[in-house]
Amino acid sequence: MKYSYIKPRNKSLLTPELQLLFVFFGITIFMLFTTYAFLLFKDYRFTQDRLDIIEQREETSDEIDLIENRITFIKEEQRLSEDVFTKNTVLKDSISNMFDLVPQRITLSEAKLLENGLVLYGITPNKDIYNFMLQAPLRSIFHRTYSSFYPAQNGWLRFVSTNYIDKEEEMFEEVKKDTQDEDYDEEIEYED
Amino acid sequence: MKINISRQNIYLLALSILLLIFVFVFAFGLLIPEGKEYRTKRADLKKENVELRKYENFRDDVLEKLTELKSDNRHIIAAFDTSFDTQRFEKMHRTYFNSLTVQAMQNMDNQGKFSVYEVNTTSQINSPKSFYDFLDAVNKSDWIIGINFPINFKREAEMIRSSFTMKVYGIAKDTNTTDSNVSE
Repeated sequence: MKYSYIKPRNKSLLTPELQLLFVFFGITIFMLFTTYAFLLFKDYRFTQDRLDIIEQREETSDEIDLIENRITFIKEEQRLSEDVFTKNTVLKDSISNMFDLVPQRITLSEAKLLENGLVLYGITPNKDIYNFMLQAPLRSIFHRTYSSFYPAQNGWLRFVSTNYIDKEEEMFEEVKKDTQDEDYDEEIEYED
Repeated sequence: MKINISRQNIYLLALSILLLIFVFVFAFGLLIPEGKEYRTKRADLKKENVELRKYENFRDDVLEKLTELKSDNRHIIAAFDTSFDTQRFEKMHRTYFNSLTVQAMQNMDNQGKFSVYEVNTTSQINSPKSFYDFLDAVNKSDWIIGINFPINFKREAEMIRSSFTMKVYGIAKDTNTTDSNVSE
């Protein structure tokens, strides 16, 4: 027996309200998960980038160390070469001075330049010329001067002049000079 | 007053509340801490980048200094790197002497990073001027050479025979290998 003239509509579990609810929460949850995934990915990238940067920094630091070592080494080379060149120039001047020191009337036959001394072999017309013209300037340069003579065949005198600079005395003189300079500076300051 | 709520609406409300709770828990439990971490890591990365930039700038400065130093001391660096050759030395400096003999001594000494090589030299010169010219030339030669005491000058007829030792400076082998690794 029929109680209604219309056909009953099919009842569905997903009502329009429920559909609306699922769509709304679906979009919300999708956005939340997308954001979370984005953050996770970015975190991973940041960690990787940071590790790369740390590695690069260490490499750069090693490179800096190597470059600084090389700079130090070149500076050492520069210092050593300058020392050597200066010594050569000083040596040239010393030899030049030594030859200038010998007067024309005295003839040298041999000269030995030592680290702290000078040995001269030669011939002189007489002792006075040697004493006044060679020994006097030598005495002013060296701390110890020894001379020995023996007669030559032509009536002149052969001589051997041995001259030494005492390093201790030289150092003492340098210290004394430095102290005098300091005293002088102090006096100037005091006057000011 | 009686509120009439259908059963379907109650289910709907319960589901909405459940989903809302899930959204809040997810947001506060995971998303916000992750966001904070993201900001911290971004700041750290920025800091590291600044630090790296500082290192790179310093490296560039130091490298520039090295390049400048290298170009200023090209001759000295090349001289230290060149190994001593007696024949070449004789050929280069023969012009200052009437005769020149260079004899390498066997003993090689190490002074820190540098090796020192001793060479015996005997020569004949016309006048001391030749020797002065030789000393000037030695400072410009292909090696770092120091003239060493004792120096002996002996008169032989119209000539002066001079004999002296020279110290030739070079780079000790182990130093050479480590320091030459710097690339520009």
